[in-house]
Amino acid sequence: MEEKIKKIITQAQEKLSQAKDQKSFSDLYIEFFGKSSPLNNLTKEISKLAQEKRPKAGQAINKAKQQLEKLYEEKKQSIKKNLNSAKIIDVTASGTKRQLGHLHLVSQAIDQITEIFAKLGFSLQSYPEVDFDYYAFESLNMPAEHPARDDWETFFINAEIDPKFGKQVLTPHTSNGQVREMEIVKKPPIRMINISRCYRRQIDVSHTPMFHQFEGLLVDENVSIDQLKGTFDFFTTNFFGPKRVTRLRPHHFRFTEPSFEVDVLCDICEGKGCRICKGGWLELGGAGMVHPNVLKSGHIDPDKYAGFAFGWGIERTISMKTKLPDIRMFYQNDLRFLEQF
Amino acid sequence: MNIKIPVSWLRDYLKTDLAAKTIANYLTASGPSVERMEKKGEDFIFDIEVTTNRPDAFSVLGIAREAHAILSSNGQKSELTAPKGMDLQLDPDTTSKVTLDAQITDSKLCPRFTAIVLEVKIQESPALIKNRLIACDIRPINNIVDITNYIMLETGQPMHAFDFDKIEGAKMVLRQSRQYEKITTLDSQKRILPKGAIVIQDSKKLVDLCGIMGGENSQISKRTKRAIFFVQAYDPFIIRRTTQALAFRTDAATRFEKGVDLENILPTLSRSVYLAKKIAGAKIISELIDIYPKKQESKTTTLRFSKLNKYLGIEINPTKTIQILTSLGFKTHLEISQIKAVAPSWRTNDIDTDVDLIEEIARIYGYHNLPSTLPVGQVPNRQDSDLKKVIALKNALKYLGQTEVITYSIISKEMLGTTGVSEKKAVELTNPLTEEWQFMRPTLISSLTEVVAKNSHLKSAISIFEIAKTYLKQKSGLPVQDLFLTIVQSNGDFYKIKGITENVFEALGQKATYSKIKDEDKLFQANQSATVKIGDTQVGKLGLLNSAITDHFELQNQISAVELNLSRIYNLSTLSKSFHAISKFSPVIEDISAIFSIYTPLGDITLEIKKISTLVKNIEVIDIFEDPKLGDLKKSVTLRLTYQKQNSTPTQQEVNGERTKIIKSLETNLRAKVRK
Repeated sequence: MEEKIKKIITQAQEKLSQAKDQKSFSDLYIEFFGKSSPLNNLTKEISKLAQEKRPKAGQAINKAKQQLEKLYEEKKQSIKKNLNSAKIIDVTASGTKRQLGHLHLVSQAIDQITEIFAKLGFSLQSYPEVDFDYYAFESLNMPAEHPARDDWETFFINAEIDPKFGKQVLTPHTSNGQVREMEIVKKPPIRMINISRCYRRQIDVSHTPMFHQFEGLLVDENVSIDQLKGTFDFFTTNFFGPKRVTRLRPHHFRFTEPSFEVDVLCDICEGKGCRICKGGWLELGGAGMVHPNVLKSGHIDPDKYAGFAFGWGIERTISMKTKLPDIRMFYQNDLRFLEQF
Repeated sequence: MNIKIPVSWLRDYLKTDLAAKTIANYLTASGPSVERMEKKGEDFIFDIEVTTNRPDAFSVLGIAREAHAILSSNGQKSELTAPKGMDLQLDPDTTSKVTLDAQITDSKLCPRFTAIVLEVKIQESPALIKNRLIACDIRPINNIVDITNYIMLETGQPMHAFDFDKIEGAKMVLRQSRQYEKITTLDSQKRILPKGAIVIQDSKKLVDLCGIMGGENSQISKRTKRAIFFVQAYDPFIIRRTTQALAFRTDAATRFEKGVDLENILPTLSRSVYLAKKIAGAKIISELIDIYPKKQESKTTTLRFSKLNKYLGIEINPTKTIQILTSLGFKTHLEISQIKAVAPSWRTNDIDTDVDLIEEIARIYGYHNLPSTLPVGQVPNRQDSDLKKVIALKNALKYLGQTEVITYSIISKEMLGTTGVSEKKAVELTNPLTEEWQFMRPTLISSLTEVVAKNSHLKSAISIFEIAKTYLKQKSGLPVQDLFLTIVQSNGDFYKIKGITENVFEALGQKATYSKIKDEDKLFQANQSATVKIGDTQVGKLGLLNSAITDHFELQNQISAVELNLSRIYNLSTLSKSFHAISKFSPVIEDISAIFSIYTPLGDITLEIKKISTLVKNIEVIDIFEDPKLGDLKKSVTLRLTYQKQNSTPTQQEVNGERTKIIKSLETNLRAKVRK
């Protein structure tokens, strides 16, 4: 009996040292402790022994079982350890990752701008790029032949002249959405952002013939200049950073009265004045209180309602955060440029 | 429009102790913006932007007036003094007078005509006048010509001087030109006039292109002994039409186009005579001619305080509003709840309604003095447009490894040629900037292929996308401007472009079907591309691009693309996701292998199986291969079928039955040979 036990232990040790992987090791469990394992068979043979030899045999078998379990457990732990330290890992080497794409700077800005104004209840709308003269100019208090139209250097479309809406143009600003929005919503409150491509006949280091503008329009019963200021401060502090407040300067647009140019505090000199800015401020865009004639074009009563509107170039707004030497880079689509963002 | 003003000149009329920089800051905050300040010796030159509605501020006096109103309203000590000689009695200085016969054919062309004849001594102007002209970028010529320019800069009113002895018959008739009439202007350019320009003719010839430039034949020269001083106003619209027709504009025309103050004309003439007497030994030798049939009147504008305070967001003291308007030259009348104001003559054209008064009061009060608060009204219940969804779609594409580009919507005639859309159907510009920007593009594919070509020397694997509008002419009305998503890849792999398309539809919540394009397409290769449909609606195309377009951009390798009409897709209702009970019973999964013709689409095979068996819940293509051992033009397809029931596990009998049905239908309808 004792010799048989010794043999079983030795065989088991051999098998354990040979087990290299998890599967062959797990199989050994059944071999050692299962119904038809050697130890179990030995236990069955106890009944064949003489009465006085049985207790000693039983104890020996139990002791062997415990020893086997211990060896098994040890081997289990050492396999675990080996599994963990099997490969040599270089933590500074690149991982296996997915290649991400890139969004254009303009889209990233559009995303941020939309989100900021959404917090104030402005919805995002979209209006035609090829539009009628009526929506681009006439409904905005710029009658035919008015010199104010010269300010925009408009592209004209080769198309039939509509008896009511006039010529077709490539809209030079997003303001063509103002009266269109009023016609759709009909009754204030109106809060909308219109972001679109715009077109003007000029190209140089700070102008491209196509660019993006974002327009805001708010029409309601009690609208005042301080709300306009507050809205701009909300946008600039969220988009550019805290402390980046705005100021208004008198200006002139036919479709707003009073009209303003909006500046944002220069981040380089923080308002003290430097080479880059104009006396501490950077020009952002134009704005104003909606002209009563524009409200009338949108069939909204100017005695009951008032509004403010603003239109800012997106490329210019981006350039204030990300300095670019030439605005034309936006549309050259060099992948080495696009992949920086 | 920009104007340069030496501060020393400004200080002739604006009396204040404030430094130039301080004056500039006040002006910028409440009036015309001082964009730049240049130091010139002891003096400064202001470079000021004056908006087009404020021709009254486009002069030294105009700026002085504005500055005085702003300074005094802000509690700063300031005084406005008038130039000398603006109210002379313009009587002849001699009894031997000459007579100028002036006739206006239509007062609408020229609402005020003033003229006077002077005996003059032509010589150089004094240094002060010459220096001031030079500081404003105008070349001094002689005292009389210099006076006309000096007056224009000082008062904003353009004026002209003629050599009286060159006016034949001492007669001037102001009329409209006939088409093709000719005049040689002061710059020695011969101009052929359109119909309707305003001109002056003496008894024989044209002597003036009114409002724009005088004639060479009547100009002041060294030999001039007698000069006509000439100050007018013209119809702004006619002046503008004429400058546009001739593509020729002058400083004078710029001012006339905006309209001048009729009440300022005589004082300006008077000042010019005063200067001529001072620096050219002038003597008045004719009666004053002043043809002014309809006096310029300002209307009365009423502004309710309730509206003013509503606009400003604060309550402003009525006394303050009176003070501000008065400092700007308005005549005011204060009532209990409103103010009535009459604009000064130099603002007649600009002030119309109550909001115009609000602007005057608010800007002088100072926008920086108003608070900053958020809007208080209700948030409208308005849906975002599709653009909102586009933002999400772009982000999805970014995480799917695509890089966004933005290309110009206006393309050249040459690029239009690559699109397959004729010039007749394309939207064309009547005034293109250059040949590069002439048509509105009907597809994004050409533009994106160009980007691939431009970048191909830098990178081998390019996958770019753009979401933008395309433009197609309609029979009437605005062109169709649908939003498109276009992806172009440089690896020319059909399954990769189809793969990214499938990802896009997952992001959009749609399911599409694909059918092969067999006919010749201008953009896509036949048999290497497919039309994409959602239900019955065609929403796009994808596949390998035609060599016609890749050759045009000198690309060596195959290029693949997909173009989807997002406007159409967003109009369709999306698939909604609902809960399907998860079966508690395990499915039976089996593989079937069969040999098909290589032309048999996988879509047809799965459709056939789905048609014939309701028990099959999922079909997965495990393997496809071709091998000459299978036969000519044959492929082997292995499909993994999942048989599943809601209420029990399918029995072996049920599965056998289904399998038999499937095998039979594949063999019969698709001529397959099922492998055992």
